[in-house]
Amino acid sequence: MDIRPKVLVTKIGLDGHDRGSRIVAAHLRDAGMEVVYTPPWQEIAAVVKLAQEEDVDVIGVSSLATDHLIVPRLMEALRAAGLSEVGVIVGGIVPDDDERALLDAGVARVFHPGTSLADIATYVRELAARSRAAKFAA
Amino acid sequence: MNKPLPTANPASTAEAHVRWSAEYAAQLPGEREVRNRSGIAVKPLYTPLDVDASRYDADLGFPGEPPYTRGIYATMHRGRTWTQRQLIGLGTPRDYNARLLDILDKGATAVSLIPCNSVYRGFDMDQVYPELLGTCGVVANTADHMDACLAGVDLAKTSCSLNDPLPFTLLAFMLATAKRRGVDWRLVSGTSNQSDYISHYVANHMFFRLALPGSRRVLVDHVAWCNAHAPKWNPVSVVGQHMQQAGATPAEAMAFTLSTAIQYAGDCVAAGLAPDAFLPRFTFFFDISLSFFEEVAKFRAGRRIWQRVVRERFGARDPRSWRFKFHAQTSGVDLTRQQPLNNIARVTAQAIAGIFGGLQSLHTDAYDEVLSCPTQFGARIAVATQNILREEAHLTDVIDPLGGSYYVESLTDAMEARIAEVMDEVDAQGGMFAAVQSGWVQRRIGESARAFQARVESGEQTVVGVNKYAVEEDESARPALPRPDPALMQAHRDDFARWKEQRSQADADRALSALARAAQGSGNTFGAVVDAAAAGCTHGEICATLRRELGFGQPLVVV
Amino acid sequence: MEKSSLTLLSADAVRRGDRAAIARAITALENEMPGAAALADALATEAGRAHVIGITGPPGAGKSTLIAALLAECTKRGRRIAVVAVDPSSPLSGGAVLGDRIRMSEQAAAENVFVRSLASRGHAGGLARTTRRIVDLLDAAGYDPVIVETVGAGQSEVAIAALADTCAVVCPPGLGDDVQAIKAGILEIADLLVVSKGDSALATATVRDLEGMLALRARRGGWKVPVLLTSAARGEGVAALLDAADAHAQACGRGRRLARPEPAPADERARTAALAARDAFARNCRIELVDAGAGHAEVAMTVGAEHLNFNGTCHGGALFALADTAFGLASNSHGRVAAGIEVHISYHAAAREGERLAARASEVSRTRRLATYRIEVRRGARGEGDLVASFTGTVYVTGRHHDSPDGEAPTRSSRRSP
Ligand SMILES: Nc1nc2c(ncn2[C@@H]2O[C@H](COP(=O)(O)OP(=O)(O)OP(=O)(O)O)[C@@H](O)[C@H]2O)c(=O)[nH]1
Ligand SMILES: [Mg+2]
Repeated sequence: MDIRPKVLVTKIGLDGHDRGSRIVAAHLRDAGMEVVYTPPWQEIAAVVKLAQEEDVDVIGVSSLATDHLIVPRLMEALRAAGLSEVGVIVGGIVPDDDERALLDAGVARVFHPGTSLADIATYVRELAARSRAAKFAA
Repeated sequence: MNKPLPTANPASTAEAHVRWSAEYAAQLPGEREVRNRSGIAVKPLYTPLDVDASRYDADLGFPGEPPYTRGIYATMHRGRTWTQRQLIGLGTPRDYNARLLDILDKGATAVSLIPCNSVYRGFDMDQVYPELLGTCGVVANTADHMDACLAGVDLAKTSCSLNDPLPFTLLAFMLATAKRRGVDWRLVSGTSNQSDYISHYVANHMFFRLALPGSRRVLVDHVAWCNAHAPKWNPVSVVGQHMQQAGATPAEAMAFTLSTAIQYAGDCVAAGLAPDAFLPRFTFFFDISLSFFEEVAKFRAGRRIWQRVVRERFGARDPRSWRFKFHAQTSGVDLTRQQPLNNIARVTAQAIAGIFGGLQSLHTDAYDEVLSCPTQFGARIAVATQNILREEAHLTDVIDPLGGSYYVESLTDAMEARIAEVMDEVDAQGGMFAAVQSGWVQRRIGESARAFQARVESGEQTVVGVNKYAVEEDESARPALPRPDPALMQAHRDDFARWKEQRSQADADRALSALARAAQGSGNTFGAVVDAAAAGCTHGEICATLRRELGFGQPLVVV
Repeated sequence: MEKSSLTLLSADAVRRGDRAAIARAITALENEMPGAAALADALATEAGRAHVIGITGPPGAGKSTLIAALLAECTKRGRRIAVVAVDPSSPLSGGAVLGDRIRMSEQAAAENVFVRSLASRGHAGGLARTTRRIVDLLDAAGYDPVIVETVGAGQSEVAIAALADTCAVVCPPGLGDDVQAIKAGILEIADLLVVSKGDSALATATVRDLEGMLALRARRGGWKVPVLLTSAARGEGVAALLDAADAHAQACGRGRRLARPEPAPADERARTAALAARDAFARNCRIELVDAGAGHAEVAMTVGAEHLNFNGTCHGGALFALADTAFGLASNSHGRVAAGIEVHISYHAAAREGERLAARASEVSRTRRLATYRIEVRRGARGEGDLVASFTGTVYVTGRHHDSPDGEAPTRSSRRSP
């Protein structure tokens, strides 16, 4: 299927540093994707509603100051809303131990500082294709 | 007697320069132009032809004298080096206090306190997910908590730097503590390190959702109140660090900081304060990136511009108003997750740039900050780095040791010009407040952040271990995670719930109504915050009241 | 539980207002996926109940922020409300940051609100090509009103007038000379004129300017266009705006769009591919079509020995041919025959044998008769490298149509004939 990936780039929790998420959002746009961007501090319920209404293929969560610790709550809320096909990635400062916990909670991948934007875009495109295929599988 | 800069015979210098240029071009044909992070072209060589020796007195002068290019005090680091201010905060007040007493014991001379992100955002601990509590700062929501944080600290003698964003409840809690201990508020000294609401609104969105005009009011009230009641307290710290961390170039960060300071000073004057009454208590807080000479020049140029601005725009006559006092922190953005121990080298270079730039106070980042919040081990190395630079490396033997370098003087001039350009653009937008309200500053910072990232992606900017010299990771360099003990945090939450049940609700309600009335009318909102803190109101309650009265604000996001 | 695409594209679920089903159906419509047309037909009879409010105006006028305030007001009045917000796609990458929703994030979290962002995907006129069908679907799902935010409009982007029952043109204060431009263009389509940012200095003066201009204009269908002052920041004038929109619907009716035939299904990509296949000269120059859509086209070639000049670099004429091919395809992509009348090219760097070059054409402006394109020739298979040449060109748009043998513009019979 010829798809233009639709991606949500967001931040949940308390922190507001958004340099990274803005750069990633702009890069995904330049890589040909349609990006919904939110201000920081999103409530988990609001992210789920947005992901559903916009029917995004991938959600990218940026976390620099331990907000990734509530990503498992987001994963649970997405599942409860029937959105388990949506691919979720986390980018930012995530210690190794926490990374394992996130992957166990269903996060597709964690990107650490220093990852090239091109690598992120390539991965998001693949993940989006998988997610779209799962959503529209007969 | 001041001796002029050594100059050769100008004619023969010029001739030699032509000769050398030809030789250089022949050996490096088609060399790419080198530009620093602020976009200033940097030549391969600087000579007497790049400086005007006759401008020494006007542009450089002497330490402690305008234009302060060489430093704001006559004795600079010879007289007193700098305040070693390691910012700390983690877990419960009791955890914090233990760590604080430990570092005071090891030679730190001042207190610093970072609150939990929930505090920045205006929440009490019972309003957020428990797993987020205390992971990046101490969870302090009441005067009692502050009392516990500062147990064993003499508030009359110890300078306290509080990372205390609007509405300055941490200071209010500390003043309540001082009063309980019988310490006169006029002796309390330190800085409200996070008073720069504009930088929060623009750069890191660490604010409690108060709308911009409300924030403007609260800051002016804070300055006026501190002037009257806590004269040794620095109520304003203008934080260029946030702008630069968010992606502004060093020149932009300096320009936005100065323009912000101009905005705050103008607001204070409009509120009837005399410039010389509050300007001596203005302080600044900057980021030091790895662009070594650029950072040195940034600070030297900043000092020069500030003394001009306060005299020309505000008519300040007290030399204490002219001095550009700043704290600086090594840049976390330059640190890498890959080969984290390399960060110690980066922090060292950054710190030296700050020291040569003439800082008054320094925080060196822990090498493990990009892995998580810093560990105690990492923090100890960061402190040791400062000690080595101060006492082993002979950096402080000479004041402004790079002064007179053809390159540094020329770059200082160029940075000054670039900074002034950006400040003019801000003025054309109607000043910093307007430029931030319209999103102009945010857009500009976003563009610079993307441009820098593009340089890293293309390899034009080397980042060791990331886009060059990558090696197999050495996992052993990864420290253990510092996280608050969940049981202790739960106990802290339980205590808080119990305390709320037991406090005098009537007193708290009365104080919150008084705060609301102050906000509705023309009373001093910070005075009312101080009263509310003493009356047993919590941080979250105070924030919610102000937000209700002064307006709700979201970050203005510009992509 | 297994959810099949069949249940997901269920007209019943859409009628019931099932959020997930609506969202997925919109994706299907937007991407013209299998089953989408059938779904649209199934729901077509239910369209026409909702009041469709178009919000248009220059970039940054405050449209999204105003919609956020309208959402709050509608929520207060107990309405179920949907927003379709269209943002421009980048003509170069085809990607987009859908930024309108950022301004509505707080209000969009409410249960009674449904917000969907669309990228224009190269469609001219300030809307995405599928916007109308998506509005029909939200209408059938029971949302009322349905608000449509256009791409920040220039002068000629008037498609919203054909879609919306009530068209609100948002003017930021202090338009100054721009008032002339607005007067010439989108002012004509306004049912309501809204001055935004009423909290800022020049707002009342702008109200006066606009009222002055309206006085010179004939009334349309008995409706007197009001000029409304709003401040989304202070929440002022928002209730009055909603009242005025209601009054307009009362006076002029709902379902305006249904009276017009839906525009022909413009399959720009297929059409452009067909045109490219017929282009003997381009084929001779070994120019290949890479991508095309409404108002844009991308072609590429590898510099071969036959393209070289006496200096051994790519001949200027070959670069011209590459750029001109992209220009021709983009300008003819909308379906009407367009003929070049003026072009200009600048050469910035030499290209050598073996290099792959790409030319991308994007639409700068388009009116009924004239359209202007900008073309960049860059190195790299997708033009990711340095700029080699830049080209601007203008075409005259004829009345003839590519797709119909007799040269008449085809119309598709509407699903509901008026
Ligand atoms: N002072 C003030 N500023 C406003 C108001 N409404 C919007 N703005 C500001 O105007 C800028 C643009 O607002 P948007 O709502 O994004 O404008 P838009 O017309 O949707 O923009 P595009 O969709 O990009 O064309 C933002 O900086 C808003 O904060 C208002 O009522 N008062
Ligand atoms: Mg908008």
